[in-house]
Amino acid sequence: MAYMIQAEQLGKTVTTASGDLTILQDINLRVEKGESLAITGASGSGKSTLLGLLAGLDVPSQGRVLLAGENLGELDEEGRARVRAERVGFVFQSFQLLPGLTALENVMLPMELGGQKNAEARAKEYLAKVGLEARVHHYPPQLSGGEQQRVAIARAFACEPEILFADEPTGNLDSATGNTINDLLFGLNAEAGTTLVLITHEERLANRCARQVQLAAGELLISGAAAEL
Amino acid sequence: MLALRLLWRNWRSGEVKLLAIALALAVTVVSAIALFTDRLESTLLEQSNSLLGADRLITSNQRHQPEWQAEADSRNIDTSQVAHFASMVFAGDEMHLASIKAVAPRYPLRGYIDLSEQPFATSGPSVERATGIPPVGEVWVDSRLLPLLHISLGDSLQIGEHSLTASKVIVSEPDGSGPFSVMGARIMMNWADLAKTQVIQPGSRVEYQWLLASSPETLTDFITWLEPRLTEHEEIVGIENAQRRLQGTLKTGRRFLVLAAVMGVLLAGVAVALAARQFASRHVNQVALLKSLGVQAARIRFLYLAQLVSLSLLAAFVGLLIGFAVQELIAVAVHRLYQIEMAPARLQTFVLSLLSGPVALVGFALPSLWFLPTVAPIKVLRQDMPINTGAAVWQIAMACAVLILLVVVFGRDLVLGATVLVALLVVAALAALLAFGLLSLGKKAGSQAGSRWRLAIASIQRRRSASVLQVVVFATAVMLLLTLTIVRTSLIEEWQVKVPEDAPNHFVLNVAPAQVEPFKQLLDSNQLGVEQLYPMVRGRLTHINGELKPEDTLNREASLTWSDTLAADNEVVAGLWWDEWPASATGLAGVSVEVEVAGRLGIELGDTLTFSIGGLQAQAEVASFRTLEWESLQPNFYFIFQPGALDDYSPMYMTSVYLPPEQKSFINTLLSRYPTIVVIELDRIINQIRTIVSQVSDGVGLVLLMVLLGGCLVLVASVNGSINERKQEAGLLRALGASRSLITGGVWTEFAILGFAAGIIATIAAEALIIGLQIAVFEVPVQPHFVYWLATPVVTSLFVAAIGAFSCRHAVNTPPAVVLREAA
Repeated sequence: MAYMIQAEQLGKTVTTASGDLTILQDINLRVEKGESLAITGASGSGKSTLLGLLAGLDVPSQGRVLLAGENLGELDEEGRARVRAERVGFVFQSFQLLPGLTALENVMLPMELGGQKNAEARAKEYLAKVGLEARVHHYPPQLSGGEQQRVAIARAFACEPEILFADEPTGNLDSATGNTINDLLFGLNAEAGTTLVLITHEERLANRCARQVQLAAGELLISGAAAEL
Repeated sequence: MLALRLLWRNWRSGEVKLLAIALALAVTVVSAIALFTDRLESTLLEQSNSLLGADRLITSNQRHQPEWQAEADSRNIDTSQVAHFASMVFAGDEMHLASIKAVAPRYPLRGYIDLSEQPFATSGPSVERATGIPPVGEVWVDSRLLPLLHISLGDSLQIGEHSLTASKVIVSEPDGSGPFSVMGARIMMNWADLAKTQVIQPGSRVEYQWLLASSPETLTDFITWLEPRLTEHEEIVGIENAQRRLQGTLKTGRRFLVLAAVMGVLLAGVAVALAARQFASRHVNQVALLKSLGVQAARIRFLYLAQLVSLSLLAAFVGLLIGFAVQELIAVAVHRLYQIEMAPARLQTFVLSLLSGPVALVGFALPSLWFLPTVAPIKVLRQDMPINTGAAVWQIAMACAVLILLVVVFGRDLVLGATVLVALLVVAALAALLAFGLLSLGKKAGSQAGSRWRLAIASIQRRRSASVLQVVVFATAVMLLLTLTIVRTSLIEEWQVKVPEDAPNHFVLNVAPAQVEPFKQLLDSNQLGVEQLYPMVRGRLTHINGELKPEDTLNREASLTWSDTLAADNEVVAGLWWDEWPASATGLAGVSVEVEVAGRLGIELGDTLTFSIGGLQAQAEVASFRTLEWESLQPNFYFIFQPGALDDYSPMYMTSVYLPPEQKSFINTLLSRYPTIVVIELDRIINQIRTIVSQVSDGVGLVLLMVLLGGCLVLVASVNGSINERKQEAGLLRALGASRSLITGGVWTEFAILGFAAGIIATIAAEALIIGLQIAVFEVPVQPHFVYWLATPVVTSLFVAAIGAFSCRHAVNTPPAVVLREAA
């Protein structure tokens, strides 16, 4: 069976002033197309590092990652960038919107960079989907946290990625806003059939995924269907 | 297009505004100085050429060839001709050996002839500008000819076989010091009358001048065509040697402008670099995000490059417009004050000025931005990840290279640029050390002080590296401003010293030995001081150590003199003056030679020089080399012989005299009594030098203003770099209950301390730099500037505190809730 994401014997070690520090080791993970996976764990357990490796933002010290069948280890930085441009979308905890651009321009940016012609129409369509059609010309500092994250979600889905990586998408939001964002995220995910890899420390959010894995001290402890866990 | 769209968005968000302003300022400084200097040079060249009456002269004892005229006509070169000769003129029983100039239509091609109907007029309503040449049958004459011949204007005089009417006196004319002018009073006649006089016969001593005027390129091409066709009797004369006195002044003025340009560009460059660093730090996250979205590094580099190049071109265009407007303002002022129409700047200067924008970007901004595309995409998840911003040494090296390039292209003075740069690098390094020391001292003092001081010292210590950097930047900016101000003041003073108000303004020549004593008495009785009287004979250097001297240098007769005392502005740089010089072993008299002429002719100490004086030979041994002060307007000689060496050659005497304007009519008295004496009115040359000094000084004043603006921009840019952090700190402090006045006071105190430290460093560095410049570049005496020692730290402290407080006002005044929410 072809997996959308496949991690084999994945490890990450960094050199610090006090010697080598192992952040991840022996991670084996497979994510099927259209599947939603939650990666949970305490702060410092290596969740964000794992997400970075799976998305090709960083390179592992050991093991390999196959993204939609392409071995990221065999690609250089530019090759990995191409894979991300073609297949990957992101939603970050800190939204990562450019403060000088309006909501519309933030959503348009990756499409413009990809050379898509109908970037503005698509951006407006997705901003409407997240309920921000009235705020397209507002700048991020003029939007609430929840609204900013909705812009980030519109930006991610407007490119129609095959895989969406979400890093603590509700980590900076209150619980009510968080729930709204989660509904939006999972709704659009279901609609587009996107593979979702979600990093969270919220049990409730993790439970909405089809499967979850838990990290502790850089090792994968539990892996199984969310309902079973 | 996408790059332009992104640029517009960046502009709108204010992220590139500071960079654009800094780039525009760099171009403004460069273009204003380059355009002004270019126009000044062209104007002075025109003014100098007006002294020749043309751009080039071909002198010969024969008329120029008809085919040369045809070639010049085909190239659209303006031409005219002049014949110079000496001839006896008669009026009744009186006669005089006059210096006659027959001029053809269109003379002069450059400059003007000023005339008057009032003898000895120098200015005023009676002076009019000639619109042509003397009409047929009339002559224009030197005022002194009238008493010499006992005639008045309107009377006739006889030249050869032709009688002509003296209709006007010449107040000024191009090439006033023609080949025969020293011999007699000037008479200017129409070329058409020349044949009627019948004075030019085969074998007559006459010098023909063929005058040429055109654009420099056309003229250079024509001269290239002409040169192989010239015989040994024909010589091309340019302005190179004609205006040596002005060249000295102009060179110093030009160096000053270049120095101002270097400093202006450097300040603007520092502002560009700081703005670029700020831009880079704000775009680290953006680049990480773009990379996480799959944008490749090469594309990111292209997008940023395209944006920045477009920005630099736009900024350069704006800077060029402002620079043009600034120098135009000076040109208008010059025109209003001195009635001098400045020549237009050349197109290449505009193009080079425009290109200085992208060049400044490459040198000052790109090194700070080059790392951007290398930011790792993982940074989007790990904000604390360190970034490699590239080696600072390369950034400094790149900035230095560009600065040198700009100085070489615009200033054409590599030594000056390199001197300033090396000095600045040393200063920056020393300033960093000093700043570190001063700030450490401040820490100890601050622990004993009140809360406002503690807050300020704590803020400095928290940002110790940034504080040191700010002190270095402030110190550099202030040092540059200080240097420029002091150098400008001392330079203008220096010029004033060189051309004092009571400097001799007339040369008196042709004083016969028997006239020396009565001449001195006449001056005394009119309360006029007299300088040393120099005996003088005209002679030509023919041989060096028995061999013919090189043909291309000093091909004319020179004035030879002898003196037992060395003039105050002469200095023996090699060999010995007569009081120490042992008699020559060969029994020859000694001669002291001007050092530059000696260099050009390859003359060594001890060489034997042979001179031809009125057909007789005289030999002398080189005893010493001397330097001269050409700007001093004292009589200067290339060759000074040992006293008595030329006693057998019938010398005439010369000297210089200061005549106050109200005693100008003394010339009439002098010439009436001694008609053979020749007076050269130097006051016009002095006025020309003063005009140039004023022009340069006006230009420098405006440049200084722009440099000051650059300094302010540097301060704002460096404070802006830490503004976000300051906002957060102020918000937190205010949330914890600190009053606004405490925080404001803390900010004022912090920047006042930084300013004071910068002021101390700047004063020390500026003094060191000025001493270097005084010794190596301007060649003026070294002088300390005590008045600046106390004033600079105090003024810098206040100034930096005000700019710092102004830049931080938003951080202090924004409500803490807003600051903390923005920071979240």
